[in-house]
Amino acid sequence: MNALDPTLPHMFAALLAIVFLGGAWQKLRDMDGFAMAVEQYRLLPAAWATPAAWALLLAEAGAGLLLLPLATRALGAALALAVLAAVTLAVAVNLLRGRRAIDCGCGGPEGGQHLSWGLVLRNGMLCLAAALSRAAEAPRELVWLDGLTVVAGTLALYGLYAAANQLMANRPRLLKLRG
Amino acid sequence: MIDALAISNAILWAVVLALLVAVFALARQVGILYERVAPMGALMIDSGPAVGEAAPRLDLPALGGGAVAVGAAGSHSQLLFFLSPTCPVCKKLLPILKSIAAAEAGWLRIVLASDGEPEEHRAFYRRAALTDFSYVLSAELGMALRVGKLPYAVLLDEAGRVRAKGLVNSREQLESLFTAKEMNVASVQEFVTGQAGQGSGT
Repeated sequence: MNALDPTLPHMFAALLAIVFLGGAWQKLRDMDGFAMAVEQYRLLPAAWATPAAWALLLAEAGAGLLLLPLATRALGAALALAVLAAVTLAVAVNLLRGRRAIDCGCGGPEGGQHLSWGLVLRNGMLCLAAALSRAAEAPRELVWLDGLTVVAGTLALYGLYAAANQLMANRPRLLKLRG
Repeated sequence: MIDALAISNAILWAVVLALLVAVFALARQVGILYERVAPMGALMIDSGPAVGEAAPRLDLPALGGGAVAVGAAGSHSQLLFFLSPTCPVCKKLLPILKSIAAAEAGWLRIVLASDGEPEEHRAFYRRAALTDFSYVLSAELGMALRVGKLPYAVLLDEAGRVRAKGLVNSREQLESLFTAKEMNVASVQEFVTGQAGQGSGT
């Protein structure tokens, strides 16, 4: 892969850290709801839902924390990819089964988002960001303006992520209105 | 020149972030609008026995053993709560139902109703610790009361007449059924409409 400008991996790693830590926090605040959502995916025996929910939550929070320091970023990105692959597979399996009207359990401010292929696409983008966060960097001396680029760029990417989530959560309501 | 570019870059970032905040806020407001514009009929669905009419009288076997006389005249009112093991909102309401059952035990009996595979319901009955409630499985009951969406609740008074009913998603909506019975109105919507009518009349 061609080397990237060093600001880009920083930006992607910071974006994923915010998404994962924020997601883990949201799930922790409604742990019962999240365990129920895991159960609704109907991929595990019902008794495993709560342990599986805790395992997902810990993996998510761990990935978010490991992505922050430079030394553990590669590990964090790998864990993030694993979590994303697992949940995206779960979503895809249920979409193929036709069980789309279940809560995605994604947490996040939008809450109660249903399953859709948009969710799979979104997770695909996050996977891409995880892969790029550990890409080779072209050596270049960083100046103060790069700090601005990374901070503002990360916030902008997160804003796009939040807006996309909100629009996906709106879609079923719009479809219901249209009748 | 470099200074000028740096300044222009900083300003552009500020504008981009402000615009993203605006886009997110707009998307959120659109979402709220969709929800508000959605038919207000949510609480009461206009079919099945009307408020004041007698509910069908059915003797149904309960999951825990014994029988439940739904719609029978007796010393207590009955709250029929229609649920399903696969409905997350129903599960969210179960602890609330338990606290209501304890608090209103003086005048109210809660009957959980559903239909489908008895095995699945028995497992749910045990897992969710519902043994304090009567739990009946009857497609006939759901059809007679025209239950479409879950969780749905029907409040029957001591004489077996329907006093309030509707789709319930929260403790407030459940309690609104009791309020409707106390105030002798069919639903909170009717009450609000009545208020508005009186307001414009004077």
